Amino acid sequence: MVDAFFAVFQRPNFLTFVIIFLWGFYIMVTRYNLVKKLIGMYLVQTSVIFFLVSISAKKGATVPVLLSTTEPVQAASYANPLPHVLTLTAIVVGVATLGVGLALCAAIYRKYGSLDEQEILEKLE
Amino acid sequence: MSHQLPAILFLLPLFAAISMPVVCLKHRHWSQPISVATLAAMVPVSILNLHNVIHHGEVRYVFSGWTAPLGIEWVADGLASVILVLVSTVSLLGVVFTGPTSPKDLGGRIVHYYTLILLLVSSMIGIVFAGDLFNLFVFLEVAAISSYALIGVAGGRALFAAFRYLILGTLGASLYLLGVSYLYAVTGTLNMTDMVDKIPFLLSSKALLGGLLFIFIGLGIKMALVPFHSWLPEAYTYAPDSISPILASLVTKVALLAWIRITYWVFNASIVINDIPILLLVEVVGALAAVIGASLALAQRDIKMMFAYGGISHIGIILIGIGQGNQTGFAGGVFYLLNDSVMQAGLFFLAGVAFYQYGVRTIDDLGRVGKQAPWLTGSLIVMALGMIGLPPTGGFFGKWYIILGALEADNYVSVAAVLLSTLLTLAYFVKLFECIFRQTSTRLDVQSGEIPLSFKLTLGVTSAAIIILGLFSAPIVQLLLNHALPPSL
Repeated sequence: MVDAFFAVFQRPNFLTFVIIFLWGFYIMVTRYNLVKKLIGMYLVQTSVIFFLVSISAKKGATVPVLLSTTEPVQAASYANPLPHVLTLTAIVVGVATLGVGLALCAAIYRKYGSLDEQEILEKLE
Repeated sequence: MSHQLPAILFLLPLFAAISMPVVCLKHRHWSQPISVATLAAMVPVSILNLHNVIHHGEVRYVFSGWTAPLGIEWVADGLASVILVLVSTVSLLGVVFTGPTSPKDLGGRIVHYYTLILLLVSSMIGIVFAGDLFNLFVFLEVAAISSYALIGVAGGRALFAAFRYLILGTLGASLYLLGVSYLYAVTGTLNMTDMVDKIPFLLSSKALLGGLLFIFIGLGIKMALVPFHSWLPEAYTYAPDSISPILASLVTKVALLAWIRITYWVFNASIVINDIPILLLVEVVGALAAVIGASLALAQRDIKMMFAYGGISHIGIILIGIGQGNQTGFAGGVFYLLNDSVMQAGLFFLAGVAFYQYGVRTIDDLGRVGKQAPWLTGSLIVMALGMIGLPPTGGFFGKWYIILGALEADNYVSVAAVLLSTLLTLAYFVKLFECIFRQTSTRLDVQSGEIPLSFKLTLGVTSAAIIILGLFSAPIVQLLLNHALPPSL
């Protein structure tokens, strides 16, 4: 138990990821305001991106452009470019989703004059 | 030429979607002919692709010369090609159906609608072909974003349903991405074929199990598996009538296909990670979905809502078939997936015709229209036979093979779940027919006029397809057994 506790604090990046993810999830579940729900959703997306970046971080590594073409390649001295590219794509996907979400929010506000989930549900009845 | 077919299939709808807003800026009425022409061109190309795959083996399409583990590749194997024929045919029918309903139904946003439909179709082709976990994620999200926008395109009550779908769908996508990054962290690769070789050495890894569970939950939300199904009924009920057939028949099924690919092609499905057999999980979840979905459908009075819950229960039945871990069950599950897709499309076409032609939304009103609508009642009878699973429809043979697979695996709980869900399906269709054929009900005076040709065509083709899939079930299942089985079975 104590070991597990210390093991968690050995990896602050994972702890941060869990906190951001659960925080976003909590906001999505508990808030009635639609824009706040979107903020929670964006936090969840960002936390996954953070996780992806944090597992690919490497100490003492440089950009993945060969320093010398004659010597054999030392994999340890270059950062892995793939997770960063994945991150970029995931950010683009997240932005697109957020855009559609905000557009829906705007349309809902124009129709119901409110962004509060409960008020909208009352009007729907 | 023939090895370029996967790319051609993808680029056809994509180019049409991109050029649509430009071409149709001035001529809005061109948008339907262009979409119909594009999707009609896709049908023969997809059949050609299936023919090619059957006779010359699977095609691995490599993008811009970067070969497999480094670059992105698409895998056109038997399963993907069969599903693609389904995707192109059903979306063609969906677009043909849209013709008369669209202007009223979509609030005049016709060009937006056709652009998004073509984008949705091209992203589904991407999901079906993707040979790379991250590529799959991107296409899943493109499909999801197009669906959110399509549901909300006409405004009204659908906006709120689309918003809920967006929140839950994005949570699912984030969980899927999290699972993929777990798998990437453990195996160091994203390519499915490459990952297969690395997994047997990592079976005790908790990260592998965690990744698989996150992927399962994420795709479970996308395919509306029972604990995560809450977004589906409202979204499909309040979506415009021209949109719900394509969404209900294809989007959830394609997510299910992605899940099948990951469980059977990436993970050898019979493996046990950390003492947890993954297929057992699938069977249990599938059985729950089959029974709970059908019982919820029984409680509905809105016809679209009833059909949406019916679709949820059928996802469960497909999962039961897939989860048996033997050839019969797998082929039965995939065959039932084809059937279910056609039936869902047909049922939502029917709901669309009922509303557009007769203004009917609930089963009581449907009863009042009753015998005045021969096309409606006739196709409803065929579709009900298919949904319940009576011979000679495809639904019967799908369930038959699934039950045979479950018996082969000595899995009597699954058999019971399929039978119980069949009984519940029978119950809600009996409820529907009771309303139609009750003599005492007062007739609704409908001034409907002639049913448009495209309605007759779509209802006729889907009803005929349900029967044809049943009559030709033996060769189709044989084709699936010969060409679409995963390597591990």
